[in-house]
Amino acid sequence: MRAVPFAFYALERSLRSEAAFGATIELMRSPAGRAVLVLLAWASAHHLFAGIRHLLMDVGVGASLGAARASAYATLGTAAAVAAATVLLA
Amino acid sequence: MKLFSGRRAFVLQRLSALVLLAYFAAGALRLAFGPPVTYLQWQAWSAQPLAAAALLVLAAALLGHAWVGIRDVVLDYVHPPGLRLAVLGVAAAGLTFLASWTVLVLVSHVNSA
Repeated sequence: MRAVPFAFYALERSLRSEAAFGATIELMRSPAGRAVLVLLAWASAHHLFAGIRHLLMDVGVGASLGAARASAYATLGTAAAVAAATVLLA
Repeated sequence: MKLFSGRRAFVLQRLSALVLLAYFAAGALRLAFGPPVTYLQWQAWSAQPLAAAALLVLAAALLGHAWVGIRDVVLDYVHPPGLRLAVLGVAAAGLTFLASWTVLVLVSHVNSA
């Protein structure tokens, strides 16, 4: 949530000039930038998978207690897997 | 109060979620399988009116989704009416600022191309 203003700032920087674009990429590729991006990818993946889970429950898919519990663990696991993948890729 | 009607927020949250899902899926595929974007490619692509409009739709969905999220947390946890109004006001002002700024950035970018 607190990352949203930075995403808009990055959009502005990336269009301002080639130097500002390069500086933004440079910042994201620094060790601190990579750590922030990995945490953001984890949070975003968790939010995304949990959201898909809620949308499916809205239409009645997986709303029973057992299925809801299983999909909750699946959300935790897949989000952590995405985070691990970004550690390798970042 | 109509402003806090649950159904409108519910619908806005779900619709913006579907829009964001489509953008994130497209973005993740591009990131995973496409070559890195250079400044010149990004500059030229985003200066096309349709591309800039697509970025505006993304910004609108993100900010609308953020608004419902903030609103839900505030309505759940902030109970004094004055404080609630103040927190929601600050959030709305911040999101409105980001929205207007994005319109300005993209419009001037399209015009400069």
